[in-house]
Amino acid sequence: MSKVAIIGTGQTKFSKDDGDVEKLLFESASNCIQSVNNCDSNDIDGVLVSTNNNSKYLGAILSETMGIRPKISHSVEHLCSSGTNAIIAAYAYISSGLSEMVLVSGVESATNPGQVLEWDKSRGNLEHPIYWGSMLTKSHKRKFQTTEEELAIVSAKNHKQAMDNPFAYSNEPRTISEVMNSKQITDDLRILDCSRSCSGSSSVLLTSEEKAKTFSDQPIGITGIGQKTTSASFTKNVLEEIESTRIAADSAYKMAKIESKNIDVAEVHDAFSVCELMAISELGITSNDKSGEFVRNLFNTENRMINPRGGLIGAGHPLGATGISQTIEITNQLQGKSDKRQIANVKTGLIHNMSAAGTSSSIMVLEN
Amino acid sequence: MTFFEDQLEEGVFQICYCKNCNNTIWPFKQICHKCHNKTDWKKSTNIGKIIEFSKKGSTYFGLVEIDEGIRVLGDISSIPTPKIGQAVKMSVSFNAKPHYSFIVENN
Repeated sequence: MSKVAIIGTGQTKFSKDDGDVEKLLFESASNCIQSVNNCDSNDIDGVLVSTNNNSKYLGAILSETMGIRPKISHSVEHLCSSGTNAIIAAYAYISSGLSEMVLVSGVESATNPGQVLEWDKSRGNLEHPIYWGSMLTKSHKRKFQTTEEELAIVSAKNHKQAMDNPFAYSNEPRTISEVMNSKQITDDLRILDCSRSCSGSSSVLLTSEEKAKTFSDQPIGITGIGQKTTSASFTKNVLEEIESTRIAADSAYKMAKIESKNIDVAEVHDAFSVCELMAISELGITSNDKSGEFVRNLFNTENRMINPRGGLIGAGHPLGATGISQTIEITNQLQGKSDKRQIANVKTGLIHNMSAAGTSSSIMVLEN
Repeated sequence: MTFFEDQLEEGVFQICYCKNCNNTIWPFKQICHKCHNKTDWKKSTNIGKIIEFSKKGSTYFGLVEIDEGIRVLGDISSIPTPKIGQAVKMSVSFNAKPHYSFIVENN
């Protein structure tokens, strides 16, 4: 089995306005291919598109537009974690030898069908994510004495970090007080506790570790992968836990031969403020009852270890592109190319992407 | 419309269970996920307890576990603040999507 590395990245700016899915896709794919030294479209033999959009045959359309005639091309849909799942599929194609170089492009329009899972009859008419977000938040407050201020710090921190991300949908700073006084959605959620569905696209180019050296001075290896699906329906969840994250992280750490203490930087899936607290606990970075304090300390010391690009709350959430943008941030951090967002001495980074209230999680470990 | 939705429209919440192993299957499916045999239906008792709740505007909503061990999200009618574990009575309807509503018993 070949080891797999990331050799190219490309993004578009995220926007809360609806965007043309094909145009966005071509822009990020083009930026990605141009980021690689001497890459010719003939070198690429795999093209995967991750999206919740209903447009047909996007893998083939992207291939034709980029002048690629791939061996393997198709779309990947897995709600909010479509992006990392497409990268994991590309990894499998390359490591098995079925493909040599794969372009993975994620895209979404702001009004996309991936926000609601109609199949899940257990949600009744309360199918919007704010309802499960409220249940997780209330339960976390109840069990771990998490305060509204601690939750607001997640959002204030991520908005602050997004100010230095040129691809974020908004670069507005938000104070803790602004978050706590923002529009009340439910008794347990404010509007600034919620990530926003956006339009946008992001792309990465992957190849085998051996081949990577001829295309990039700084290829970044994918050394650990874990994916776990515990259910599709929200009401199977234990409200205080994201079991799928815990299991997927364990698999990824074992594959990478690391422990949680080795993580220097992580992009985690903060669909709502509480999700960041839950994710960093399930990843073993801190514990549930200390997670609020952990994030407060990051905020007070301007430590960008968690969600340096601003997370989903700060940067926006174009579902099919989110996992790929998370991966690009960790890649750039490991290459020392994150400009104002750069964290010092980064050796190991982690991506956590999940779907449908954490019923499935995908984790990747990257190392330089 | 499915049988489940037709029945909701009639005000009946049907529980899907396996005819072979008696496993309760939720959300409902045509086959049992444990033994892969065909499933059948039985009426719910419509009695449950509150697992968690919040409030949107003036309306409480929450996660309720009904007696058959399955959980659903719906509106909760209660004048005082609901309590975790409190008994509720469920009523159901269907209007393009399922609606589950709960009234706190002895409200």
